[in-house]
Amino acid sequence: MPAAEVAARVRESLASLKASDLQDAQVMEVLKLAQQLTDTMQMFFGSLDRSIHQEFCYIADYISKTRDEISKLRPNDIREQRIPVAGAELEAVVTDTEKATEAIMAEAEGLMGTEPTDLDAYKAQVDEAMMRIIESCSFQDLSGQRVSKVVDSLRHVEKRVSRFAATMGVDDAEADEDEIAEAERKKKLHLNGPALGGPETQQDAVDEIIKNDLDQNAIDALFD
Amino acid sequence: MAVEMSMPILVVDDYKTMVRIIKNLLKQIGFENVDEASDGTEAFEKMKKQKYGLVISDWNMEPMTGYELLQKVRADESVKSTPFIMVTAESKTENVIAAKKAGVNNYIVKPFNAGTLKAKMAAVLGEF
Repeated sequence: MPAAEVAARVRESLASLKASDLQDAQVMEVLKLAQQLTDTMQMFFGSLDRSIHQEFCYIADYISKTRDEISKLRPNDIREQRIPVAGAELEAVVTDTEKATEAIMAEAEGLMGTEPTDLDAYKAQVDEAMMRIIESCSFQDLSGQRVSKVVDSLRHVEKRVSRFAATMGVDDAEADEDEIAEAERKKKLHLNGPALGGPETQQDAVDEIIKNDLDQNAIDALFD
Repeated sequence: MAVEMSMPILVVDDYKTMVRIIKNLLKQIGFENVDEASDGTEAFEKMKKQKYGLVISDWNMEPMTGYELLQKVRADESVKSTPFIMVTAESKTENVIAAKKAGVNNYIVKPFNAGTLKAKMAAVLGEF
């Protein structure tokens, strides 16, 4: 029962007692105090009701907003369409690249293993092999298009996740134990992977490091 | 001492195409006795069974990397003197220094060509 309704009932009871024309001054004093207590309690419980109501309204709004944002994130579309398609495209790139490499290597190895006795026949063989090598290079066009689709999908996911994080005020949590362990392993074994835009240290610089004795000063100088 | 062109060479790489490329380059240079392994574990097992004149290894492989293989080889009396060339896309200065400290004889950054491979092999084994 809401606080206001309880207070109203108590007031009715008090009014009824007063109206019964009681003569006892002490009883009248008690009734007066009861009246004051009831008014105070009504104010207290009334504010409590409003505060709880406001909290629940806020939580309901937040849940609703979160549902809307998750809906806009379209997680099912990302999980069932975007990521699987991107994975399939990348697998196709790897397969196409392997096929082309296999074809080109086979042609090159075929020519390397040939003993040219008849120069005209050898020239014809070389021409045919070169044409097949050129044809094999057409994989690059398809791979380029496939990679573009993957990049589009990644941008799409990034845009949605960024919007969701910004709207919900999400901060990055700590990496889980597996991720931390993997990062530590990679650091320990210096597994950095290929650098973008070519080798980070050119062969000439590598040669200098290999041929020179390295004391700590020489190592420090390499990082200056 | 002259380099024995028939000496066995172990090529370690998890990417079959790269193994094939290196084997072809070695063949062009004149080395035809080439064995292969797909990671450090397989390579070390082979090295314990047969003596190789040279190991040419990639860095980034699973489960055992080329860097771990190098450390394991240098720590094992029976194979520690085997010449070891790292051929890798790991091109950070820290990688080269780590490999040098671990005892690598030479280091080739991918992509590379036959001339570079031949020059580094000559630097390690002597002219051939």
